Amino acid sequence: MSLLNSDASGMDSSVSQMEKKKVDVAFKSLVLDAVIFWFLALSVISMVGPETEGYIDLQYYSFLSLGLLVVGGALSYVLQAKASIKTLGQSVFAMPQFGDEQSQTAWYLSFSNWELALAFVFALKSGIAFTDFSLIEIFDANGIEGVKRILTGILTPDFHILPRAIEAVVQTIFIAFMATVLAVPIAFVLSFLCAKNIMSGNSFTFGIYTVLRLVTNITRSIEALVWAIVFTVWVGVGPFAGMLALFLHSVASLTKNFSELAEGISDGPVEGIKSTGAGPLQVVWFAVVPQIVLPYTAFAIYRWDINVRMATIIGLVGGGGIGDLLIEAQGQLRWGEVGTLVIVIAVVVWLMDAASAYLREAIK
Amino acid sequence: MEPILQVRNVEKTYDNGVKALKGVSFDVNPGEFLVVIGLSGSGKSTLLRCINHLHTPTGGEIHFKGKNITGAKGKDLKEVRKKVAMIFQHFNLVPRLSVLDNALNGALARTPTLASIFKQYSDEDREKALEYLDLVGIREKAFIRADQLSGGQQQRVAIARSLTQSPEILLADEPVASLDPATCHTVMDYLKKVNKELGITVVCNLHFLSLVRQYADRVIALKQGELVFNGSPDDITDEWFQTIYGEQAKEVHIN
Ligand SMILES: Nc1ncnc2c1ncn2[C@@H]1O[C@H](COP(=O)(O)OP(=O)(O)OP(=O)(O)O)[C@@H](O)[C@H]1O
Ligand SMILES: [Mg+2]
Repeated sequence: MSLLNSDASGMDSSVSQMEKKKVDVAFKSLVLDAVIFWFLALSVISMVGPETEGYIDLQYYSFLSLGLLVVGGALSYVLQAKASIKTLGQSVFAMPQFGDEQSQTAWYLSFSNWELALAFVFALKSGIAFTDFSLIEIFDANGIEGVKRILTGILTPDFHILPRAIEAVVQTIFIAFMATVLAVPIAFVLSFLCAKNIMSGNSFTFGIYTVLRLVTNITRSIEALVWAIVFTVWVGVGPFAGMLALFLHSVASLTKNFSELAEGISDGPVEGIKSTGAGPLQVVWFAVVPQIVLPYTAFAIYRWDINVRMATIIGLVGGGGIGDLLIEAQGQLRWGEVGTLVIVIAVVVWLMDAASAYLREAIK
Repeated sequence: MEPILQVRNVEKTYDNGVKALKGVSFDVNPGEFLVVIGLSGSGKSTLLRCINHLHTPTGGEIHFKGKNITGAKGKDLKEVRKKVAMIFQHFNLVPRLSVLDNALNGALARTPTLASIFKQYSDEDREKALEYLDLVGIREKAFIRADQLSGGQQQRVAIARSLTQSPEILLADEPVASLDPATCHTVMDYLKKVNKELGITVVCNLHFLSLVRQYADRVIALKQGELVFNGSPDDITDEWFQTIYGEQAKEVHIN
């Protein structure tokens, strides 16, 4: 009896799950269609509508957009359900496991292809307008003259600056080195706290996971360049500010890289060690750490390599290193010096890149 | 003789709603070689995991040497796992550690955390680990990385690890399911040796009935999370076989 019951409920739940998934897919396809229809309508309106002076009327467009989205969604629903036309949303989210059959119509008769093509054409049109795309500017004689001047300067490098350049590039390498070395241990600890498989045990640890994840994501999404500006105000212009900026960004990035690795470890050893009665720290040390040491090291080396490149850029806003020299030479239009600096940067970046790739390959 | 392990109405419902065990009861006598059979998905692994507390049962009780250990936490949990060792179908060794280090992992529960991190095991534990590696015939590989061994060899290391725990019960979850027939007998023979020579009680999940007849003192069978057979291997008649494995089933022999 109990057997029959549970079987029936099992069936029930799988059917209702299927239903839930279908509703989910239908909703997603409605949203996608609505967004596309909204975009198309808005493009047409801005084409035929009157030219507006000054800034756009945000309130007007918000209400308009809301209305268009609703209309778009409704249109998609009507097309799908009533006219049984396959929209783009439907074909994107179509699921073979529900027996959605492949359409047999020729491509130029398919509604979803037209929807896609129209959306692309209008996007291209807006793109050209917004980027002031102009072939005339590219072939402008004055412009070409200027570029020639700069290029000849760069191609006849002024090697007087070489000693200073090398000193500065060494500084850049060490800015990157310090940022990486300080970031690795912190990211190492954080990565466990940001790994879903480790933290999803109870709601307390999951809370920590969620908060840390949010903080590191925000930190990472702010460019190191912006952090450099913050730190030049905080600790003053110079290499220390640049190092701190890279350090912060590295902590956030490495935490993400590391925690993804920690999420990908295999459960076998973890279970094996757990089953012996080992404590939680012993489980991490004996089952998790051996699985991640080498990939973590590889990522740390790669981060140093990235940091050298970023340190060059960060110098441009006063973060020290060779970027400082570059912005100075460029500001005073000494193109020969710029040429030397570019060569030095290229050589160092290339060397770091090759060395880091070689090291990462070697420790695999 | 008092049973070493009493399983009373144990239920396990997973978070996703699957009822893997629906009130299973049986006793395990000290020194016994008990085999658990059943179709794939019948709940065999779930049962062993509940006993070792890798999973917590959602109903019923488990008594170890007369003491209720259901839902043990902290220190008690550690004690239980120490005494109730487990080996797995996929061995679950730490691949990058040496064979000896893997065997020594069996001593983790009685080594202070800091000492274990610096591999400061007691000399006694070291000797024990080597001794058990010897027992399963793999001592000469002690300093080779575990992932360079064959499957059968890895399972023997796993047995050595579990023995280093000085357990009273050894749970084996399909220990030979991923091994070829010849290796499979080697590993089963070592389990039998552990059972007979060291007097450790063994509870072992098995797939092949021919192995069951050869090694089991007693057999229990699970079907869809319920106990449907409890008796001697010789009592598994054709009818019983079809009840347990379904109408279409045919016995296969491996030698
Ligand atoms: N961690 C889990 N979460 C959810 N359901 C699970 C989990 N582990 C097992 N199950 C389900 O519980 C049931 C019993 O699984 P279990 O692994 O115990 O069976 P088994 O007899 O060991 O099978 P096999 O011979 O394939 O190893 C199955 O339906 C399985 O899908
Ligand atoms: Mg199993």
